[in-house]
Amino acid sequence: MTLLIRSQARRTAPPTQRRKRLSSHAIMGPVMAAPALILLAVFLAIPFLGAIAMSFYRLQLNSTRAPRFIGLEQYSRLFTDPDISAAFLHSLGNNFTFAAVVVPVQTALALGLALLVNGKLRGMAVFRTMFFMPLVFPLALVAVVWRLIFARDDHGLLNSAISLFTGGSVGPHDWLGSSATAMGAIIVMSIWQSVSFQMIILLGGLQAVPHDLYEAASLDRAGRWSQFLHVTVPGIRNTLIFVALLTTVFSFRLFDQVYLLGQSGSVDIESTQTMMYQVITTGYDQNNIGQGAAMAVVFLVIVTIVAVIQRRLVRQEGSIR
Amino acid sequence: MTLSTLRSTPHPRRRSIAAGGLAALVSVALAACGAPSASDSPSAASNISAGSGTGTLKVWALDGQSAENTAIQKIVSDFESTHPDIKVKMQFLPADSFAKALQTSSPADLPDVLEVDGPQIANLAYGQKIAPLSDYVSAATVQNQTDAVKGQNTVDGKLYAVSMMNSGLAMWGNKKLLDKAGVTMPKSASEAWTADEFTEVLKKLSAVVPNGKPLGIAENNGLSSEYGIYGFSPVLWSAGTPMIANGKASGALDSDTAVNALKKFASWKQFTNPDGDGTAFQSGQVALNWMGNWMYPAYAKALGNDLVVGPLPNFGKGAKTGSGTIAWSLGGHTKNGAAAGKLLDFLMSDPVVSTYTAANGAPPATKTTAASSPLYGAGKPLAFLRDQLDAACPTEDRLSQQCVAVSRPVTAGYPVVTSSFGKALTAIWGGADVAASLQAAARAIDRDFADNNNYK
Repeated sequence: MTLLIRSQARRTAPPTQRRKRLSSHAIMGPVMAAPALILLAVFLAIPFLGAIAMSFYRLQLNSTRAPRFIGLEQYSRLFTDPDISAAFLHSLGNNFTFAAVVVPVQTALALGLALLVNGKLRGMAVFRTMFFMPLVFPLALVAVVWRLIFARDDHGLLNSAISLFTGGSVGPHDWLGSSATAMGAIIVMSIWQSVSFQMIILLGGLQAVPHDLYEAASLDRAGRWSQFLHVTVPGIRNTLIFVALLTTVFSFRLFDQVYLLGQSGSVDIESTQTMMYQVITTGYDQNNIGQGAAMAVVFLVIVTIVAVIQRRLVRQEGSIR
Repeated sequence: MTLSTLRSTPHPRRRSIAAGGLAALVSVALAACGAPSASDSPSAASNISAGSGTGTLKVWALDGQSAENTAIQKIVSDFESTHPDIKVKMQFLPADSFAKALQTSSPADLPDVLEVDGPQIANLAYGQKIAPLSDYVSAATVQNQTDAVKGQNTVDGKLYAVSMMNSGLAMWGNKKLLDKAGVTMPKSASEAWTADEFTEVLKKLSAVVPNGKPLGIAENNGLSSEYGIYGFSPVLWSAGTPMIANGKASGALDSDTAVNALKKFASWKQFTNPDGDGTAFQSGQVALNWMGNWMYPAYAKALGNDLVVGPLPNFGKGAKTGSGTIAWSLGGHTKNGAAAGKLLDFLMSDPVVSTYTAANGAPPATKTTAASSPLYGAGKPLAFLRDQLDAACPTEDRLSQQCVAVSRPVTAGYPVVTSSFGKALTAIWGGADVAASLQAAARAIDRDFADNNNYK
C-alpha cells in the first residue's frame, strides 16, 4: 500500500508547492513521516531483525527450554538436508512458477477488464461492481466454491462442464489432487479472485489519460489499436509498472489459497506448497520458530533481488502532462 | 477432535502478516531475554500454589457452538451462586486461534482454568502452560473419569486435564442403500468388516449410488488438518502399529504394517466421493460415511430411521476408533489452585456434564453420566459409540486385539507429529508412494524430537 500512496503522491504534488514548504521541511518532514516509519519499524523492520536473530537459534514455540545458539545450522539444513531442502527448493520453484504465470497474465487481464469497464455504457457501475466482487469475498468462502468447481468426480462443476462440451469423451480429472494441474488450478482461482484489484488501479490510470490525446490521435487517423499502443499504454505506463510490481509482491506472498485448500480438502501439497506455506507451517504448526525464521530470511533475500532486478529493468518515468 | 471441527462449524484458518509479525515480536522478546522460567532442562518444579480458595478465577473457554457457549455460561453462573466467595472471569477465545493463543502467551497472561485440545495436552504440559491437577480436584472427580479420556489426559503418569466429553469415530450407513446392495452393517467392533471385505462391500455399493462412489471420508475437513490424524490414525492402530514407539517414529509410523494398511486405505479412493461440502451422505449420494459422533444430529435429521452405525474396517488387529477432544485444565501458573479445583469439580459433576453433553451431543466422559445419557446410554441410538469408548486401549502404546478407542499420540512433540502425518496422508491419498511418504514423515518427527532433546 505504501507503494501506491507514494506513486500517487508523486503524480499529484505539483513542484511549486514542494519548494514553498522547503523552509519547514526540517521539522515537518520527519513529523509527517513518523507514523508510517514507526509502523514500518514495529511491524516490518523489528520483526525482521528478530527473524535474523532467531534463525541462529534452536527456538521452539511453547518450550521452557532456553533458545540454544546453533550458528548457521538452520541455513545449512535448508540447502543440504535432503528432506528439508527438497521441500524448500520445491516451494521456491512453485513460487516462481506462480509468479511467472500470474504477473503477466493477471496484469494483461486486468488491463483488458479496465478497458472494458472504462467504456461509456449504461449500467457500467453494475459491471464494475460485478468484477470487483470476488475481491471482497472472504478467501475461505472462495476456497469452498472453487473446491466444488475443481471436485474430482464427474459431478464436479468443471468436470461436468467439460464432459458436457465434449459429449462425455473426456473423463473426470482430479484438478487439485494431480501434480500436473494443482498449481494451475490455484493460479486460475487466484487470478479470478484478485484481478479486479489491479483492474481498479488501472482504471484509475486510464481515466487520468487526457481525452484530447485521443481526439488528436483520431484526427491523425489513428485506429483503435494504434491509439491503444501509442496513447493508452504510454499514458498508463507508470500505473502498469506499479501494478506489475505489486502483483509480483502479492504472488510471492501466495499462502492463503494453498493453506485453505489443504485444510479443507485434498490438494497436492508438493506441487502447490510455497515459501510462505513452508515458513508458516514450520514456524506455527510445527512450532519450529528457528527454522521458520531462517526460511523467511532466505526468502526475503530472494524477493529483494527479484524486486531490484524488476526495478532496474522497468523504470518509472515522470508522467506525461 | 480438532478445535474447529468439533466445537463449531469448521473455520478455515486465516493468518495475517500483522499477526505473524506480532507473534514474531513476542518470540523476539522471548529469545532476547529468555522466558522467566527458562532453564536448560525444564524442571517439574511447581509454578502453582493453592491460594485461599476464594477470590477471582480467570477462565479461558473455547468459543464453540452457541448452544455450548450458552451452556457454559449458565454452568459458570450456577457455580458462582453456589460458591459466593469465588468470582469467575470468563473469556471466550475463537476456536481457530485458541491453540496459538495458548502457545504464544506468556505465563503471566495464563488463566487459572482453561480448556485445552486433547492431543495438545502433553505439549502444553511440557511448556508448563498447564499443571498436574490431582492435588486440586477431588479423588471422586478423577475416579469418575472414563479410561478413554484418562489416557488422553495423562502425561508421564500425571493427570493434566479432566473431561466433560469425549468423541469417537464410526462408519455411518444409509440403510436404504445398504439394503439395495444386500449389505448389512456390522453391529459391533468385533464383527467389523476386514479391509478386504470392505473393498468387496464398496464394489457392491458402487452399483447403487448415483455416481458409483459410495464411500465418504469427509475430505472437506482437510486431510492435512488435525482431522487427518484424528480420522485416519485408527487405520494404523487397527493394523497393529502405533505411530510413535519408544519415542521414535521410525520403525513405527513407517513400518511395513503401516505402509500396507495405508496402501489399502488409499486403494479406496476410487470408491470415494470427494464430498466437497460435506453433505454427500445426508443427500443420499454416499452409502457409507467415515465420520465422528458430532455429525450425528445432521445425519439423523437427514436420514431418520435409515441411519445405521457400525465400526470402521478392521485392518488385522481389531477395529479401532480415535477418541479424545477438548478437556479442562489447571493453568500452569495459577496462584488460586484450590478455587480452580472447586470449579473443575463442579464442571465434572453429573448435572453439569449432562447439561453440557445434551447441548452439544457429545459422549459424556464421566462414568456416571455416560451410562444414563439419552443418546449414548444402553439401548440408545449411539450406544455403539459408547461401547467403543468403554473398550479403551486407551493409548497407542497399549494396543490390543480387543480394545477399540485410542488417543492420539501422547507426546510433547505432538505438533510435529500431526503436521507431518497430515502432509504424508494428503500425499498418499493423492497417489504418492506410501512408503516414501511415511518415511519422510517419520524422519521429520524424529529430527524434531532429536532437536528438542526428546522433549526431556
